[in-house]
Amino acid sequence: MEQVLFRHNKPGRPVTFAEYQAEGGFAALKKGLKELSPLEVQQAVIDSGLRGRGGAGFPTGKKWSFVPRDLPGPRYLICNCDEMEPGTYKDRVLLEANPYSLVEGMILAGYAIGCEHAFIFIRRGYETAAMNLRRAIGEAREAGFLGRNILGSGFSMELDLHVSAGRYICGEETALMNALEGKRANPRSKPPFPAVKGLWGRPTVVNNVETLANVPSIITNGPAWFKGLAGIPEAAGMKLFCISGHVRNTVCVELPLGMTLGEIIDGPCGGMLQGKKFKACIPGGASTPFFTAEHWGVPMDFDAVAKAGSRLGTGGIVVFPENTCMVAATLNLTTFFARESCGWCTPCREGLPYVREILTRIEAGGGETEDVEILREHVKYLNYAFCALAPGAMGPVEGLLRLFEDEIREHVVKKRCPFKN
Amino acid sequence: MVNLTIDDKQVTVPKDATIYDAAKAAGIRIPILCHDKKLHPFGGCRMCLVEVEQMKGRQIPACTTPVTEGMIVRTSTPDIIQARKMVLELLLLKHPIDCPVCDAAGDCDLQNLTYEYKVNANRFTDEKFQHKIDYENPLIERDMNRCIHCGKCARICDEIVSYGAYSFLNRGLEAKIGTEFDGPLNCEFCGSCVSVCPVGALLSRPFKFKARWWALSKTKTVCSYCGTGCQLTLGIKDGKVLTTIYDENQGFHNGQLCTRGRWGYQFVNSDKRLTTPLIRKNGKLVQASWEEALSAVKERLFSAKTAGGESAACLVTPRLTNEELFVLKKLFNVALGSQNIDHSAGYAHNALSAGALESLGYAASPSTIADIQKTNLLLVVKSDAYETHPVLGFEINLGVKRKGVDLRVVSDKRGKLSRLPDATTYVHKPGSEVLLFNAMARVIIGENLVDAGASSISGLAELKNSLQGYAPEKVAEACGMSADEIIVLARDYAKAEKALIMLPLGLGYPGHGKDLAQALINLALLTGKIGKEGCGVLIMGEKNNSQGAVDMGVYPAKGGKDAVAILDGCAAGTVKTLYVVGENPVVSYPNRKAVEAALDKVEFLIVQDLFLTETAEKAHVVLPACSFAEKDGTFTSVGKVIQRVNRAIAPVGLSRSDFEILNALYAACANTQPYADVAAVFAEISENVPAYKGISYAGLGENGVIWPAGGTPRFVPAEGGAVQGESGKYALLTGSALNHCGTLSRFGEGPMYVCPAGYAELSYTDASALKVKNDDLLTLKSASGEVRLKAKVSARMPQGVIFAPYHFGEESVNTLTTGAPVTWVNVSK
Repeated sequence: MEQVLFRHNKPGRPVTFAEYQAEGGFAALKKGLKELSPLEVQQAVIDSGLRGRGGAGFPTGKKWSFVPRDLPGPRYLICNCDEMEPGTYKDRVLLEANPYSLVEGMILAGYAIGCEHAFIFIRRGYETAAMNLRRAIGEAREAGFLGRNILGSGFSMELDLHVSAGRYICGEETALMNALEGKRANPRSKPPFPAVKGLWGRPTVVNNVETLANVPSIITNGPAWFKGLAGIPEAAGMKLFCISGHVRNTVCVELPLGMTLGEIIDGPCGGMLQGKKFKACIPGGASTPFFTAEHWGVPMDFDAVAKAGSRLGTGGIVVFPENTCMVAATLNLTTFFARESCGWCTPCREGLPYVREILTRIEAGGGETEDVEILREHVKYLNYAFCALAPGAMGPVEGLLRLFEDEIREHVVKKRCPFKN
Repeated sequence: MVNLTIDDKQVTVPKDATIYDAAKAAGIRIPILCHDKKLHPFGGCRMCLVEVEQMKGRQIPACTTPVTEGMIVRTSTPDIIQARKMVLELLLLKHPIDCPVCDAAGDCDLQNLTYEYKVNANRFTDEKFQHKIDYENPLIERDMNRCIHCGKCARICDEIVSYGAYSFLNRGLEAKIGTEFDGPLNCEFCGSCVSVCPVGALLSRPFKFKARWWALSKTKTVCSYCGTGCQLTLGIKDGKVLTTIYDENQGFHNGQLCTRGRWGYQFVNSDKRLTTPLIRKNGKLVQASWEEALSAVKERLFSAKTAGGESAACLVTPRLTNEELFVLKKLFNVALGSQNIDHSAGYAHNALSAGALESLGYAASPSTIADIQKTNLLLVVKSDAYETHPVLGFEINLGVKRKGVDLRVVSDKRGKLSRLPDATTYVHKPGSEVLLFNAMARVIIGENLVDAGASSISGLAELKNSLQGYAPEKVAEACGMSADEIIVLARDYAKAEKALIMLPLGLGYPGHGKDLAQALINLALLTGKIGKEGCGVLIMGEKNNSQGAVDMGVYPAKGGKDAVAILDGCAAGTVKTLYVVGENPVVSYPNRKAVEAALDKVEFLIVQDLFLTETAEKAHVVLPACSFAEKDGTFTSVGKVIQRVNRAIAPVGLSRSDFEILNALYAACANTQPYADVAAVFAEISENVPAYKGISYAGLGENGVIWPAGGTPRFVPAEGGAVQGESGKYALLTGSALNHCGTLSRFGEGPMYVCPAGYAELSYTDASALKVKNDDLLTLKSASGEVRLKAKVSARMPQGVIFAPYHFGEESVNTLTTGAPVTWVNVSK
């Protein structure tokens, strides 16, 4: 299978600068800066159909096009590497093997939007990735790929690595910007959107690691090639899937978008562990509603997954086997989100802990019939929170109510968890 | 402008309006908890959710969402109401239902909305928090169990007060409003946080358990401390002023108050108020009837009148109303035939009554408070402008932080203003202001930065001549600044499209007199910065009616004695009767020893005051007067605003308003009918004081009237010399402490908690040389006296300079001073 992001991977060690270049790395940078205008780079990304790999799946080129070009003053590009979604570890795997695609992609993205200073906002725990990036940035600068007048193109850009103090909310792009400015990591209200008023009040683009790392290959091979990589015509490109849970191989693999859930679990994952039956999975990170066996054939692409009632998210698949208590699984996720709420808005600050309380009660056998309705209400109204954290947190709860209501009621009626003896 | 539809109503609003603003303009109420019109939108409480048709009915917050053309908004669909109910239910999960003992009950947004949305039984239950309640200070009680995380306290403290006492701590459900290291509150105690708290999490402790909100009657009036002219709403019950009530729609300051405005009302019902007249009998002041006291006073005044009036003199506080000052002046000028009347020791009004009058043709600031936020460059003379007029300090904060005003502070020490973003502070040697501003004028002339219009102003040639000796290079050393700094400041000032100069006055600032005002007015005239919006000079009178006292002409004219001459006359025996109305010269006038000697010497001393002050203790007759809360009348504040003062309570004890006392004395001495009421006096003022022409008492309305200034400006050279230091001595600067104003605020518990006594503030370098630390006693010794003050070591003081506030009677700094801008003192441990 063709590999794009993992093309340069070396077993047991990161690829070197020389190897990356020898294998065609930084060719896209040279082509982009010398042969293409910023608008042409942007257009190539628009045409490629590349969608954000951080969870929301927003078309990348379109996001860039929102940045006002004629506004005097600085524009910023931020790479969001605060990968904290439970079940997601693709960016870490990518950067531990190869930091150069990201650096190259960021320079190209910076060129496209006219950015003079870019930042990589990296999760504190990602020490190896940070070390690789630091080295890669230094090498790129020495090679003249960063700094003043890059490759004689007249385009200048600085790139800095910022190690986060660590919080789930920092992955929310506006909270990330606050954190980067040295403020408390609370999200900001939108509008104004970051493309208009972001970091230090300036136009800013925030992209995920994987998104940016895809840009060089699009420039080298063209948008049509990129589109063609996907397994189904509606999708575009490859996707890193990181699978964990009850499968034989918990791996991070690069697969064409559009492969079905079943193909992924039976293929690279080598099927279920200990021959157990598949009960459910989180298809795209902790904030996405569950898939069950009935979704076995759903093509793993943004639109198809959305149509099936969930979100492709980050591509972090967590697999649950037959004897999993879904109330307990949801409670586990909700506990994480309740802890990670920043405390800014009422629904998230007060609502998530309350959902946690209800689920705790139900799981412990103290649930009431009315709790189902109260949970449903939370799923509805927590959508109107300040940022996407609370709606995301309600993803699994919504899935639980839609797919496993019987299981909840069984807890209530039996006054205990039916999966525990 | 943007057109939109809200609940089927067509609304047209400016394009930067939010849905909330638009709804408000259309008279549609959207419930809010975290929104405050003075603060940046927050969007946290989610009470103001509305539906927008174009967003597929998704509920979005009205307070943060800007309007767009053609938007169709619904503010109260069943679904929205359900969402709001849910928000309230969630808030009530943790909020204790202790309304019966909560002081905010009746004034609580959460309570009111819970009632309005009929959340009569919460379906959700959870354990409440057990946060420790902060009782560490006597002003603000912090009960974080009641907090609903609207963040208003943290935001107002940051955005407007620029102190930053609060911040969110922790995350999720554990998130709370915390203080520095989560310790007890330690701040300016302005109480802005209390005023905006929508629940009972932040409470005024002096008001705690005093009254329920619905039992209070309210009276709108004007604060009686500094010259800013903030409007106040007093909360009254049983004839007592119990609190100040926040009204976000009041005044230019939107109800925003400082420490003394918010907590200093306590002097009104203080136990220390004088409740009966006192007469000295056998060397002791004893209680007397009004008849007895007044007849003693009248007898003295009659005999002074018979002798030609010159033996009578008056020192009056500019805290009185315009009407009272007008009648008092008439009592002396007309009824008694004496010109000996003055206030504030002369130098707290000299900048206006001599400086502005000569240079501009009228004794007032050409600018108004509104100019602060409209200017591009703000030149503040002395960082103390924040301490003397804190609410104007908030205006500066807002100008700098929201409007990008370029703040330049020219000061003999750094201060809070110096810490504002991008503020530049030029620290100069004490007393060298005139030198410095003259040098700036010279640069402006030398570099041809003079505005074309300046050539038509008379006196330009004389000014140019007078500035020969003020080349920046020559004065740099005496100023303690580099010539380059002076040149750059002059250029930036001259080139700014709009520039405003702010000059605070006060009894603590003897250097802020005629010459300094004129040097500043010269700068503004040279660069064409008078008479335009956002430009000019704002001369900030110290007391609530400082501008009014100047307007009423309460300073000596036509050969009358000024304050210094009056006191000299008392000492020499030429002034035989001294009538002191509200002033406390023993503490506030320079050279305490000489003042006390003069007052001890004068044959007959009448003191009319609220309290038995250090001055009143020396009196032969003491007349108990009323506070501002017991009066009707007008005050004229900074920027020439005439505002109505409204009586809130009946006089305390047997006290009478200054108006009542003076009106009776005037009628008796002039042998005429007394004025019917204050309105009658105001009518006479508007006939006699040209600036007040055409203004009527009834026409002043809620926000008052700015009297129109007009005159012929001219350049008047200002004299400024280098202040010679004395070797081995420290430069002592006096001035205002942040929480005090004059000597009146000493009778308010709030200001006295925050700043209970005088202190000597000195630099770390000097402190280490003197081997002193905070609160060690320092002995300060000048040519005229000696005091012992607690040391306060701070980073803002330059080496060799000591600052001491002047408000306090014990170890008062006026023991050391004699009225010079800088007093040289020996300091020892």
